[in-house]
Amino acid sequence: MAFLSDSAKASPTAGGEASAPSAWQVWRYRLKVASREPTTLIGVLTALLFTYLIVVPIISIVLDAVRVQFGHERRLGKDFGDLTLYYLDRTFTSPVSVDLFWRPLFNTLSVAVGAILLSLLIGTILAWLISRTDMFGRRWFATALIVPYMLPAWTFALAWTTLFKNRTVGGQPGWFEALGWTPPDWVAYGRFPITIILALHYTPFVILLFGSALRRFDSQLEDSARILGAKRYQVAMQIILPLMRPALMSSMILIFAKCLGEFGVPYVLGLPVKFEVLSTSLFRSIASRQTGVAGVVAASIMLIGIITLMIDARLVREARRFVTIGSKGSMNRQSRLGKLRLPATGFAATIFMLSVGLPLLTLFLSTVMKLPAQFTLDNFTLDYWIGQDLHTVALQTGVLLSPDLWAAAKNTLMIVGLASIASGILGLLVGYVVIRTPVRALSVYLRQVTFLPYLVPGIAFAAAYLSLFAVPRGPMPALYGTVTILVLALMADQMPYASRAGISAMTQLGKDPEEAAQIAGAGWFRRMMSIVIPIQKGSLVTGVLLPFISGIKGLSLFVILAVPSTDVLTTYSLRLVDYHYTQAANAVVLIIAAIAYLGTLAAQKLTKTNLAEGLGS
Amino acid sequence: MPTINLRGAQKNYGVNSANAVSNLDLEIRDGEFMCLLGPSGCGKTTTLRMIAGLENLSGGEIRIGDRVVDSIFEGVFVPPEKREMGLVFQSYALWPHLTIERNTDFGLRLRKLPKAEREARVEKVMQALDIAKYRDRYPSQLSGGQQQRVALARMLAVNPGVLLLDEPLSNLDARLRLEMRAELKRLHKEFKTTIVFVTHDQWEAMTLATTIAVMNEGTLQQMGTPNDIYDRPANRFVAEFVGSPPINILSFDKKGTSDVAKEAEAYLSSRYPSLRGIGSVGIRPEALSYATRKEDVPQGNFSGKMVVTGILPTGGSWILELKSDSHTLFLTTHALPRLELGEKVRFFAPPEALHVFDKDGQRIAEADKLLRSAKLN
Repeated sequence: MAFLSDSAKASPTAGGEASAPSAWQVWRYRLKVASREPTTLIGVLTALLFTYLIVVPIISIVLDAVRVQFGHERRLGKDFGDLTLYYLDRTFTSPVSVDLFWRPLFNTLSVAVGAILLSLLIGTILAWLISRTDMFGRRWFATALIVPYMLPAWTFALAWTTLFKNRTVGGQPGWFEALGWTPPDWVAYGRFPITIILALHYTPFVILLFGSALRRFDSQLEDSARILGAKRYQVAMQIILPLMRPALMSSMILIFAKCLGEFGVPYVLGLPVKFEVLSTSLFRSIASRQTGVAGVVAASIMLIGIITLMIDARLVREARRFVTIGSKGSMNRQSRLGKLRLPATGFAATIFMLSVGLPLLTLFLSTVMKLPAQFTLDNFTLDYWIGQDLHTVALQTGVLLSPDLWAAAKNTLMIVGLASIASGILGLLVGYVVIRTPVRALSVYLRQVTFLPYLVPGIAFAAAYLSLFAVPRGPMPALYGTVTILVLALMADQMPYASRAGISAMTQLGKDPEEAAQIAGAGWFRRMMSIVIPIQKGSLVTGVLLPFISGIKGLSLFVILAVPSTDVLTTYSLRLVDYHYTQAANAVVLIIAAIAYLGTLAAQKLTKTNLAEGLGS
Repeated sequence: MPTINLRGAQKNYGVNSANAVSNLDLEIRDGEFMCLLGPSGCGKTTTLRMIAGLENLSGGEIRIGDRVVDSIFEGVFVPPEKREMGLVFQSYALWPHLTIERNTDFGLRLRKLPKAEREARVEKVMQALDIAKYRDRYPSQLSGGQQQRVALARMLAVNPGVLLLDEPLSNLDARLRLEMRAELKRLHKEFKTTIVFVTHDQWEAMTLATTIAVMNEGTLQQMGTPNDIYDRPANRFVAEFVGSPPINILSFDKKGTSDVAKEAEAYLSSRYPSLRGIGSVGIRPEALSYATRKEDVPQGNFSGKMVVTGILPTGGSWILELKSDSHTLFLTTHALPRLELGEKVRFFAPPEALHVFDKDGQRIAEADKLLRSAKLN
């Protein structure tokens, strides 16, 4: 200690000169600065938490892919846990690889490409009509056409089966079948309906991204070209299109990434004709306890997802080059449609009918009709909603009176509610630490680790959770079948959105209000309670509500991780589909859709923003 | 408040980045109105934030009186909330969720003062800054100037020993800025606080400060009274940064020396042969005069012949642009110039108006004596 006090005394004389402090002194000082406030401590703790909840599961499933799994020891002549290439070989090169991987991959790609092309075609036209023309009811359509994205995608799948189902599967016949026309398999199931439904579901992406790019587009750029003598189509091809390319590419890639992880639609519509995509193939591997193969498939899905979104990130960066300075003159002039005004409105209305009206109406009608497609008064009933003592094998009451529904609803509220509250609060904390910590590495790590689940399609993420938490590891008991695993998985899965919201809220807030409080004499805790949290109230509400909405309609996580005792609304309705209780299943889906839609509206009201615009990013 | 002392203060934001502030020695005495003046990115705001404790040091130390508040050597860091200072941010940083009254009251509440005293102090400071009538409004309902006054009131309420101001007037329009300058000067008198004021606006510094510290690229260039800074700039940077239109520099570098500079060189070497190692000479535009006839040039003045290429009225005064074959000079005059463009004139300046710098751009102090004594002769 003598040495220490010596050096301390020496400092005043050394102060003026540039005598460098020793490494030990620098570290002591830094530690002092860093430990003064709990920011860094909270950062370290959250970083550890997310490493465990996000990184470790992913590593675990990748390891599953290259290690001998339980039950294969004898066949492979190795011990459980040894390194092996067997699963890679089985998934990629063996005779069954076609069924396990290559055909699902081809199907995924072809469905995605089809959906992308179709939604681009519809979406760009609608985006242009909404943002740059004098079409009737533009404002209304601007919201109405986004609604499909607020509903769970497989709502449409169920509506489709309700209409087009044929005798390939049992249960109540489809409406067209009942009317005397048997839809062929290719119409009823498989690639064609899946492509159409995904296209309709993701068209809002294009409308949002392309539309906002169009709105930001400065009419003066167009005018300048016109003044220089360019014709309308030349302006379109040489000025507008090149500037819109980043927005188009970006929406294409987002749609692709979403299609990659989509489970509900291919499950409902693909299964009857054994049309498999990667997500259903993964589901099948897990259901048949092929853990090693599941690992390989899940890792492949992740890899494709990561590559896709990295391309997107690159494109976004490139697109910044195109950002023109929005001057006062950045006008958004409307084109007059003239004679086409009515047909254009008709087109938008048709798309709305196809993507929202028809599916919801079909689902609703199906729940109040005894026999499909018989529009006579005595065929209508409310039994499926509130009936009692029905003459069925199971589910002898209307769905609203069924205890299973309320148990599922309770589970949903509890699981999704807990997870969203946790992720909302953690998101704000992460945002705080990322922006405030003096330790840069911590900030970068937290930002990236919380974003990681975004790159991993939900179903692969769920598989990763299963791989890590299905068996007890160290102090952690086996969590499969518990509510805990669902809450944890859902929370981790929502972190990208929650942490983004937190980071952007903290960035917008800036340092100043907090530093002003600091100067005024407020310590860390006091600043959190009287400055940061009150100001961030709104974004905290959004940070909870958004994950809640997406959790309510989420399927892919639950389908892997939920068991009957932890049924949530989505898995409950899927189970009803499996048992061919069509009406009940449709009723449950309608309930989910209503909650998701109303939740979105509520969030929009609360935050006074157009949430639909935020969903696209 | 005791004297604030920065010794060898240093700040860098990362191992490989250049120093934002390097080896800065600064002394701020009680009751002083000090301006930190410099171009953007010169480290003046960083210095202010280091004093406040919002940035920690990378080297050196800060003391307040005898108390070390920040030192790597001693492993001491007193956080901002314990330094008892006031800081007004460039953005004002009013808390958007609190009313004006609550904003002003915030620091007092933290200090757990009795309610009556709190109310009295809030009232006094709100009256002094003329914001009492907005007490129940929220910051977003006030104009920029009003917000600025609230930001000041908030800090003055706790009666800090030193008030730090980070370009507080830069977001105001010209008229308001003038009003607030007068207000600040009045407050400085009334509250007798030490004020440290960051600005890049030389007029603001000149009109407000009792001491100006000019900074560039993280280092202190000169510290002195406003007159010192203007009349005896310590180096070429200070000379060129302060003053508008900027000082005329005649560079004696061997390469590209202009004809006017050559004349200056000849003038100095013939009259003051003892002066050596001159790198450049500066003449402020208002120190230059002109004459149309040779006889009107006073004896012993430095003068030369040039062509009038521009007459720019600035309202009350005129800037003349004079050109020779290889040099352009600017000259300020307060009398209406009866000149034609293209007319030949003689500029002249007395020897004591010449600022002489060495080859590194530092002022040659000895030259000042020589040039001044020449006048007496």
